[in-house]
Amino acid sequence: MKIGVYVCHCGGNISEVVDIKKVMEFAEQQGDVALVKDHAHMCSDVARKMLVDDIKEYGLDKVVIAACSPQFHGRTFMGTVEKAGLSPYVMEMANIREQCSWPHYYQPELATKKAKDIVKMAIVKARLDEPLEKKTSPIGKRVLVIGAGIAGIQAALDLGDAGFKVYLVEKEPSIGGKMAKLSRTFPTEDCAACILSPKMADVPANPNIELLTNTEIESISGFLGNYDVVAVRKPRYVDITKCTACDKCAEACPVVVPNEFDEGLSSRKAIYLPNPIAVPHAYVLDDKSCLGLFPLACSKCYDVCDAGAINYDEKPERINFTVDTIIVATGYEIFDPRKKKVYEFAKSKNVLTALDLERLISLEAEGTVLRPIGRRIAFIQCVGSRDELVGNEYCSRICCMYATKLSQLLKRADPKRDVYVFYVDLRAFGKGFEEYYKRAQRTGVKFIRGRVAELHEDSHTHKVRLKVEDTLTREIIESEFDLVILSVGLRPSEGTTKIADTLRLIKSPGGWLQEAHPKFRPVDTLADGVFICGCAQGPKDIPDTVAQASAAAARAIRLMNKGEYEVDPITAFVDEKLCSGCGICAGVCPYEAITIELKDGKRISRVNEVVCQGCGACVASCPSGAQQQRWFMTSQLHAMLSAALGEEV
Amino acid sequence: MIFERKPLDIDKIKVTSGEVHIIKDRCKGCGFCIEYCPRDVLELSEEFNIKGYHPPRVKNPDNCVECHLCEMLCPEFAIYVTKKEDAKVSAR
Ligand SMILES: Cc1cc2nc3c(=O)[nH]c(=O)nc-3n(C[C@H](O)[C@H](O)[C@H](O)COP(=O)(O)OP(=O)(O)OC[C@H]3O[C@@H](n4cnc5c(N)ncnc54)[C@H](O)[C@@H]3O)c2cc1C
Ligand code: SF4
Ligand code: SF4
Repeated sequence: MKIGVYVCHCGGNISEVVDIKKVMEFAEQQGDVALVKDHAHMCSDVARKMLVDDIKEYGLDKVVIAACSPQFHGRTFMGTVEKAGLSPYVMEMANIREQCSWPHYYQPELATKKAKDIVKMAIVKARLDEPLEKKTSPIGKRVLVIGAGIAGIQAALDLGDAGFKVYLVEKEPSIGGKMAKLSRTFPTEDCAACILSPKMADVPANPNIELLTNTEIESISGFLGNYDVVAVRKPRYVDITKCTACDKCAEACPVVVPNEFDEGLSSRKAIYLPNPIAVPHAYVLDDKSCLGLFPLACSKCYDVCDAGAINYDEKPERINFTVDTIIVATGYEIFDPRKKKVYEFAKSKNVLTALDLERLISLEAEGTVLRPIGRRIAFIQCVGSRDELVGNEYCSRICCMYATKLSQLLKRADPKRDVYVFYVDLRAFGKGFEEYYKRAQRTGVKFIRGRVAELHEDSHTHKVRLKVEDTLTREIIESEFDLVILSVGLRPSEGTTKIADTLRLIKSPGGWLQEAHPKFRPVDTLADGVFICGCAQGPKDIPDTVAQASAAAARAIRLMNKGEYEVDPITAFVDEKLCSGCGICAGVCPYEAITIELKDGKRISRVNEVVCQGCGACVASCPSGAQQQRWFMTSQLHAMLSAALGEEV
Repeated sequence: MIFERKPLDIDKIKVTSGEVHIIKDRCKGCGFCIEYCPRDVLELSEEFNIKGYHPPRVKNPDNCVECHLCEMLCPEFAIYVTKKEDAKVSAR
């Protein structure tokens, strides 16, 4: 056996701490080591070419790269070794950067000693490596997109246009998400509905997209290339192919409830059009508010519907289908400002959220004035963001800019208005944002740095009194306003949390969906074939949401396009002679990859190697030592431990 | 959260409203109309009718939206609803 050992300087990251020479001398003394070299950057093109040439020239059959974390460059070197004709699984990385030179920066001697141990562990493991081969598995071209806000719509359109079959599942009766509620969008001030509605209309027009509205995911099981989905379509009671959206039913309906599309500022009937740009453009009967369907209490809507679109007998419908990959785009909800008692939200008539104001401005543009906005208006920033008292440490990223937008729109609509924005820090980080903020200042919006300490609405005049300390001038400002707008932060939507549980996705602090790697795999998850995008992953604006959605579509296409994908051979397998069929392994497997089967009258554990993610939980749990994991065989782990403990191996 | 606030346009919305008529002496006190009224308009009265039953009584006249459910359910044809012309709003 010939093992080649390569020690990387990492441009000083390693060599400034670890004595590379000593590590090389040490490696040379180890059994089976045929070649030891170093390089300033092992990951560079030249170094990798050197590695390929060495393998061929010296006939190396195992390689140890002492460098950074395999999380970082494992795939790089596996590919290089493969190029030289070896199995990628005879390459071992000794992590002497993250696990050595970085944490032990101030103890170079001890770090060098530790680096030797780490290298030795990799050598003894490499000795026992089997030349595993990658397998391939067939894959189709079907995608499930969950959530049809702007993120889900964009991903679905990209995939549909590329010729992939898309199931777009939206729990509400219309697609569009929060963007449909907005007035204009920063920093360009495009009218949100005008730029969104053509995209919404493209969805049902795309022959590759099957749109399922009013539908929720009940369960998802399976794995990449074979996810079985069960969705439940809630009854709409209106046939979307027949409804002409004439509004006669709503006119006849005697039940009035708050309209959620207008944040409850306006009302709707129990049968209603979800919003003016709704897709599908059809009415929906809200059976929770309707006077009653069983027994049928009123039926006024049915009596007036000339199109014969209403059917009170609709029942929930279960829909089963299979997809190859999944994109989660389940979005956000706004922070509930009632949790910040000081702001007296819902108690004071003149304290509204920014989303309320978005609706008021949009409705005004459509010719409906629900309430006057007034002359003196104050925005309070960071409501529910960067606030550990409510458990949200994160910055919601968009509130500074939407307040900059809304304040400017108000000021421009009536230049005599006094518009104040009370902020903690103003963050204008995006392209064109700083310029946009400057423009708001020029328009006459007053930005004041200070947190609002007191808020009180006068019970007679309904003016809202604010007490704020200007933290730049140290002045205490006490002033009355006609309207106070709370710039509420974002939190993960209930649907996001639910889908995270269904798909067993990891959540980051704050409850957002966690990406596989923040820099290099920002829309992947650790579940194979499941991608995330938009505000489900974290607070962001529309441009970032759309960029992520297209990225998620591209990542899904990358997996499916070839018709087959590579399966990692690092899976568990069972030694049938040792297995007692106790089933403990099946219980601990988080991916449900293990079944207990009868073989010649004996209970035997069986691992589905396509489903197995190689986590090793079963191996650790098996009391008989029957479960083993390729590339991490118990014999290899023992050898590494002995090496670390200085025993002879 | 939104359902805590009263919609601002509530006073402008028109809905149908009905007037409930009870023919007390036909009633046999089954209580179906009281039980099934989706708007909680009716209640049992204390008085006795000619058959010795307690007929229903209108408790919340403004709540009636003229759905006629009581009329359809009543086994004795003892209750009926007419449409009131001055439509009034009352949100749930
Ligand atoms: C007041 C305010 C003003 C804003 N102004 C701007 C602006 O000017 N410019 C800008 O760029 N951005 C702005 N934003 C941000 C913008 O709203 C978001 O970037 C964008 O809407 C995110 O889209 P999304 O598709 O990720 O999420 P969402 O719009 O939340 O869409 C998620 C969709 O998924 C559905 N869903 C959720 N769970 C499930 C489930 N389990 N099953 C099925 N469906 C589900 C939801 O019903 C919804 O339709 C503003 C935000 C606020 C609050
Ligand atoms: S049946 Fe229900 S939805 Fe239809 S008009 Fe009557 S209350 Fe409204
Ligand atoms: S009356 Fe019939 S066609 Fe008209 S909006 Fe209502 S359901 Fe649609």
